[in-house]
Amino acid sequence: MSSDKQHSPFVYTDEQLIARFQSGDEGAYIELVNRYKDRLTNFVYQFLGDVEQAEDIVQDTMLKLYEKKHYYREIAKFSTWIYTIARNLANTELRKRKRRKTTYLSRMSREEREYEIPAVQPNLDENLQNEFIMERVHQAIKKLPEHFKTVIILRDLEELSYDDISNIVGVPLGTIKSRINRARLQLQAELQDLK
Amino acid sequence: MNRYQFEDLISEYIENELSFSKRKEFESYLEGNPDALEMVNAIRSNIKKAGALPKVKTSSDFNDRLLDRIRSESDERTDGSPIKGLIFGFSPIHASIMMGLVIAFVFINIQLFSPAFDSQDTNLLYTTNEKLTDPDLRSLSKTNNAQNANLANLTGDSTYADSVYQSKKDYSKKIQFVND
Repeated sequence: MSSDKQHSPFVYTDEQLIARFQSGDEGAYIELVNRYKDRLTNFVYQFLGDVEQAEDIVQDTMLKLYEKKHYYREIAKFSTWIYTIARNLANTELRKRKRRKTTYLSRMSREEREYEIPAVQPNLDENLQNEFIMERVHQAIKKLPEHFKTVIILRDLEELSYDDISNIVGVPLGTIKSRINRARLQLQAELQDLK
Repeated sequence: MNRYQFEDLISEYIENELSFSKRKEFESYLEGNPDALEMVNAIRSNIKKAGALPKVKTSSDFNDRLLDRIRSESDERTDGSPIKGLIFGFSPIHASIMMGLVIAFVFINIQLFSPAFDSQDTNLLYTTNEKLTDPDLRSLSKTNNAQNANLANLTGDSTYADSVYQSKKDYSKKIQFVND
């Protein structure tokens, strides 16, 4: 049926869905959750490195979306708004962790603190090798300074546009371009031994 | 093109955002510098690897848990139980602003109304003094007036001084002009 097709949530843009949700359509909310839950979990996971915690952060993000739906104004893209909420919550979690980590590190022995990621092992089979490379890339991204890590995740993993990244991070477009370039250079230096 | 300029343009080159002339300049730099070409290829490959990192997915009960949380939070509110972190229904920031305004209002009122009460009291004293008939009390009142006048001079309160000296003689008629 054409009317069914017209009312199918897939034909609506994010902005239309949030507008519908603001006028009381709970189905639109569920659709937004379904559209963004995986993307956001993946995004937050890159910061926290823990799937369960990433999922908790995304739950909080979605709860915020539910409670503060009227705070959204259609001056920005919905994706920018929701990514900004998730990023802020992830940053809060990271700050909490840093405080805890300072205590833990001071308790750890010297041997426990020093670790090194081994170079690529030539004898490993292809799948394992691939897995190993991915882990190295993941670790290299994790090691980037916070302002580089955020932009590289948003650009190279989430594939967002420079404009969207600029809005999410709240930094001018030129600065974002320069940060992404420098982050890639740093990543390249870190992964030099990978072929 | 030098090394710094080359490094600044790598991302724009990879993403095809360079102008035609800049692109030509960039590519001629790559031709002359094999290590630069290697670097560009490595960065291109890293971008691909980052994009191919395994994607994390939410658990299957994500939506159920979320809806449970929403329901429990809205139930808490309908119960009438105080929402966590609120003071008399206000957030801490709003509560402190309200408290500040109340304190400011009370302080301003005290400042505004206390001098009025003082002047009323003074007028009352004067009317009482003017009505005194007993000579002893009158002399006492004069002494008081003189003291009050001195006090007024010291404090610079002109209205006070005027009221005290209003009974002074008018010397204007006695002023003589000296002819040149």
